Parts: sequence; structure tokens; C-alpha cells
Amino acid sequence: MMFGRSIKLERELYESAKKHAESAGYSSLDEFVAHALEREMARFREDDPEEQVRRRLHGLGYLS
Amino acid sequence: MMRAAGVCAALFFAGSLVAAPARAEKVVVLGVDGLDPRLLQRFMRDGDLPNFSRLAATGDFKELRTAAAAQSPVAWSTFITGMDPGGHGIYDFVHRDPQTMLPYLSMARTVPPSRSLAVGPWNVPLSRARVESLRKGRAFWEILAERGVPTAIVRMPVNFPPIGARGSRELSGMGTPDLLGTPGTFSYYTDTIPGNAGEFTGGKAYRVSVTDDVVAAKLHGPENPFRRKKKNTSLELTADFQVYLDRANRAALFVVGGREFVLKEGEWSEWVEVEFKALPPLVSLKALARFYLKGISPDFKLYVSPLQIHPRDPVMPISSPPDWSAELCSCVGYFSTLGLPIDTKAFSHGVLDGREFWDQLVLVDDEARRLFRHLLRGHRDGLLFFYFGAVDQGSHMLWHYMDKEHPHYAPDDFLAGGIRKLYQRMDEVLGHLLDEADRTTTIIVMSDHGFAPFYRGVNLNTWLSAQGYVSFLHGAGSSGQGFFADVDWNRTRAYAVGLNGLYVNLKGREKSGIVETGAEYERLLDELEAKLLAMTDPATGQRVVTQVTRPRRDFNGPYKEEGPDLIVGYAWGYRSSWENPLGGFPKEIITVNQDAWSGDHCIDSRLVPGVLLANRKITLPSPGLDDLTVTVLDEFGVSAPVEMRGRDCLADGERQLEPGRTR
Repeated sequence: MMFGRSIKLERELYESAKKHAESAGYSSLDEFVAHALEREMARFREDDPEEQVRRRLHGLGYLS
Repeated sequence: MMRAAGVCAALFFAGSLVAAPARAEKVVVLGVDGLDPRLLQRFMRDGDLPNFSRLAATGDFKELRTAAAAQSPVAWSTFITGMDPGGHGIYDFVHRDPQTMLPYLSMARTVPPSRSLAVGPWNVPLSRARVESLRKGRAFWEILAERGVPTAIVRMPVNFPPIGARGSRELSGMGTPDLLGTPGTFSYYTDTIPGNAGEFTGGKAYRVSVTDDVVAAKLHGPENPFRRKKKNTSLELTADFQVYLDRANRAALFVVGGREFVLKEGEWSEWVEVEFKALPPLVSLKALARFYLKGISPDFKLYVSPLQIHPRDPVMPISSPPDWSAELCSCVGYFSTLGLPIDTKAFSHGVLDGREFWDQLVLVDDEARRLFRHLLRGHRDGLLFFYFGAVDQGSHMLWHYMDKEHPHYAPDDFLAGGIRKLYQRMDEVLGHLLDEADRTTTIIVMSDHGFAPFYRGVNLNTWLSAQGYVSFLHGAGSSGQGFFADVDWNRTRAYAVGLNGLYVNLKGREKSGIVETGAEYERLLDELEAKLLAMTDPATGQRVVTQVTRPRRDFNGPYKEEGPDLIVGYAWGYRSSWENPLGGFPKEIITVNQDAWSGDHCIDSRLVPGVLLANRKITLPSPGLDDLTVTVLDEFGVSAPVEMRGRDCLADGERQLEPGRTR
């Protein structure tokens, strides 16, 4: 991937992901996989009490 | 249209009288957040504010002492209750739980339903979730209502949920969340995610693809309260929408929940109703959103405002009586309900530029003006309080266009005069009030605080660490995630939370408190106060802190031990850094502020007084917010309760009463 790390995928999943990445307008399969992982990890983060606090506070202009 | 307005005006105050008021008076208070006395005088001198000048000449104009800390929730709570934070318990935008050390918004909290029934994947609440205000003390309009004085309190900050005093009509203000329960979360749909999207706070970027000139996307709502939560699964409600691009005309057709509208590039939509189906077909959650078509090509860019609680069908209490928001909607159309509806975060992150931010500011201000004119038309008796927020939000975000000294200074001929234009818009509102009010009406214009530039940020936690008051588990320091990551509470004596708060890690209060109450605590406060007042900025040689308030020493009331142990008042040009309020430890103690959020007021309260104008003589030499509370009561012949320590600032010598005495 971005730093030369590789992930093994079943051929069928690889082909399907590649097709989906192209049709969804991603510039590469790498970009699509990175985005999908980010999205999935965000869901884990939202179960975290600190993440919930962050979400409730961060819309306030006074805070970063 | 005229007929509808007449009917709406007649509905205002209908049935609100409990008993005949002790002394019938009409009072209108314009609460203008952030109206600064220095800027007001400058613009008056330049001849740009004829109506403010008229009021100052025929009535009076003075600075109004603000609260410490000089923050809106603190200052407005002081006005609401006539007490300092020791009496109302609001010390900062952000408080902390001493058991978990996690920060939270100080104004209100949601209490989940106490009982629910699990049926398969569904979760049926058997009691209602509720929100509760965290402000303590009695609001002045509760006291007025008890004496039969009708009141309309519109968008008063820290009044969410509205108190619901009998005989009062209230629309909630600052502190009211969006549909997601946050202070505001915008959505940004684009086929090219900006590089800083991962750092967005107060908003999210969503990647969309343009296929055959059509974009299909989803609005992201709250979690479905009727579904059972499973670990690591999302219960987020969504609502589909489609955008059909017309590249030739640089426009697009939007289809949102069966409603259609067309926007040109660079155009804002009206409020659009959005529906999230929670328990179809029985329960749906409704919201309002504005769409802004930023660009069609080469990149598709669409901004959608935070989802506002729908005033016609609110999922949380935003008015009292509960149907008043719907009634207002029938009279003036849809309006924003979010506590701070002008999206400063989208501007800070570059999703909206300065001109786009200005356009949104004007849209929000226009609807506030419309609502005010409508309520003023129906104001027959009693008190009308109306809050305006555009000057405050504009002063935060447009300061760097006006101030060439600002590190984020940006030349822009139009926006350089942005803050002045906002004062002129407020002058138009005042002109309308002065023209419409009869001779018996007392008119008061007041603000909660003034404004100052925000040049440099102070990392108070980093300073505390450098001074040896904070220790870390692994020696080296914090990993930088915020929320006091890696802090060793067993070896930490003091820490900072919020924009001005400094706390002692006190034994018996904090979960891992180590400082003993009594002499050790007092010695530590003396030491910290002396060091804070001696702190200098190595880059400028200037003092960084010019005021330190000790609530236990300087405040009154039952909650004076529940706030921070010290309130830190920064010098002109300084403020808490961006990272400090939520327990961050950046490397540098002082940092340069490069954000569009370039003006602020969370500093030494003596440097940012508010304003007080009235169509009467202001008799107190140095009036404060708590004096104004007593003034409003006294206008109606209602004596202030003993816990209010202020004086009527409009009374002549004969009418100056001791608190608690009835005339």
C-alpha cells in the first residue's frame, strides 16, 4: 500500500473490489481499500467513550 | 399574507397572563452577543450607526461589566440569575467529570430513557429520554411570571431545554444541539476529498462519485433509538438524496425525500425538510438542512448544514409552550434552531470560504430579524427579550480581515468591513425598534462581553507540565491524543480544562486526587496564582495572564466549590490554545493562532466588557450583568430575591433598593 505494505486478498474479493473501486470513481484500488478501512475503523472509534465525548464537543467553534 | 401576520400577532401572549402585573410596563431587551463598546464607539464616531447614536444621545450608553470567565454561557447565566457562577454553576463552556477526568459541555445533558424493552432487533423505550439544563438558580422571567408579568424569551443562551415558566413563552438558544446531539456537524460531499478532511472537527467529508452526471448520496442522521445496539455496528439513520447535474447551466436539480429544488453553483437552498425513518411507518425524526452547491466541476462540492431540530416537529424540547416553535414557523416560515447556527467550523476547515461564510451569516441574521419584527409587532405588554448572535460569530471569524497585525491577516476589501457591516445591520434592527416602540416602552440594548484579537494561544497544560505540576506515566510526556493521555494522576497536582479553568487534583474530589484540602490546597493556589501572573511570552516579553479569579474566595453561592479552582484571565491578544481545553499537551507553551477563528473574548474579563444602552439614564456608575437582572425585575415593580446582589441601574436614588426589599 502507501508505504509498501501489502495485504493478501482472495482473488475473487480482489477482482470485485477492483471493479467497485473503478465504478465508484476511486483513483486506485489502494485508495478504495484505505478509505474502506478508515470508514470501518471510524465505527470502532465511535464505540469509544472518548470518541463520543470528542464528537459532542468538537462542533463548538472555541475548540479544535 | 397580511391577514396571516395579524392572526399570528394576536396569538402572541394569548392566555399568558396569570394575574394582573404589579406595575404594567413594556420592556424590550435586545441581547446582542459580543457587541463591543470600543468598536461600537468607533463606528458611531464614523457616523455608521445613526440609531445607536440616537439612543446614546437621548438615553444613555455605558460599558457593562462581564463575568469571569468572559464566556457567553457564564455571562448569560449571570444575567439570567443575577448571580455569579457560585450561584448558577456555569463556569466555562467545558466542565470535567472529576471521576473520569473527561470533559463535557457545561450547559445541558441528555438523560437516556431509564427503561426499555428489547424485542428482537428493536429496542422499545418505555420511558422518554430527556434533556436537562445544568444551570442552577431561578431565571428572572420565572420570577416575573410568578408576579403575572408576561414574558417572551427568545433564544436566550443556556436556556435549553426551556424552563417553561408559567406565563412565559420561550424559544431555546445557545446550547441547543443539532439532531445528532452535537453543537453542529456539517456534511461535505465531494469527489475529491480535501487533504485536511481527516482533521475535520464539527463536520465530516463524504466521498461521492459522479456517474452520468448524477450523484447519489446519503444524509447521515442520529443513531436509531429503536434499534438494539450491538458492539461495533452502526445504527446510524440515513436519508437518500440525489443530485442531477446540468453542466451547461452550472446548476443542479436536487431530490431530497421526494422534494425537488434547483441550485446554481454558488447558491444556497432554503431550509429543506429531511426525514429519517426510525420505526417505519410509525416514527420518523425530522430535521431541517440548508444545501450549498459550492461547485459542479472539475470537482463536485456540496456543503450541507448541520441538521437542525425541526421547529414544527421537534425531537427535543426547544420551546415553551412546546408548540410555540411550530406556531412561530407558521408565522415566519422555517428558521434555524441550532444554538450556534452559523457554521464557523466549515470556515475554519476551508469547506466554506470567507465570502460563503458571510452569505450564511446574512441568511441566519435575516431570519432572526424576521422573527424579531414579527414578535415586536405582537408585543402588547410585559417583557420581550430577543437574542442576536451574528455580531459574535462574525467577530470571531472576520477579525483577521480587519486587523493587519493578526498572524492570519487576509486582505479582502469586502470582508475587511465585515464586522462594521454586522454592527450596521444591528443598527437597522435598533432603528426599527426605536421607530415602533411607544413612549412607555423601556428599551435596553445589552451584550454579554466585548471582543479582542486572538493572536497567540496558551497551552496551559504544557506550562503546568513544565512547572512540574503534571507528571506522565512514561516520563517523556503525553502522546498528544488529548484527554490527558498518559498523565500520571498519582503524581499530578494541577491541570487545566476548558477555556479558562485550572483545577487542583484534590483528594476526595478527583478520582486520584493527591492534594490535601486546607493549607496544602491554599498554598498551592497561592503559588499557582503568583506564577501565572508572572508568566511571560518569550517571543514578545509580554505578560500572558493578567487576572486570576478564585471562585471559592471571589464568588458567592452554593456552587462556588464546584467549578475550577482558578479562573485564568489571559492578556489582550492571548487565549487558551486550541488543544488545551480538552486536555492536550502540545510541545510549545505559546503558539501562533493561524485559524480563521481570529477574534475572541475568553480573556481577562476587565478587558472585554459588554455594552449597555437604554432609553433612560443609567444611574449606576459601573453597571454589571447582575445589575441588569435586578433592573429588569424592578421595571415591573418586582423586588429581587436576596440571592441577587445587583442594583437597578436605571433607578434614580429614591428607587435604589436593597436586594430582597419590595417597593
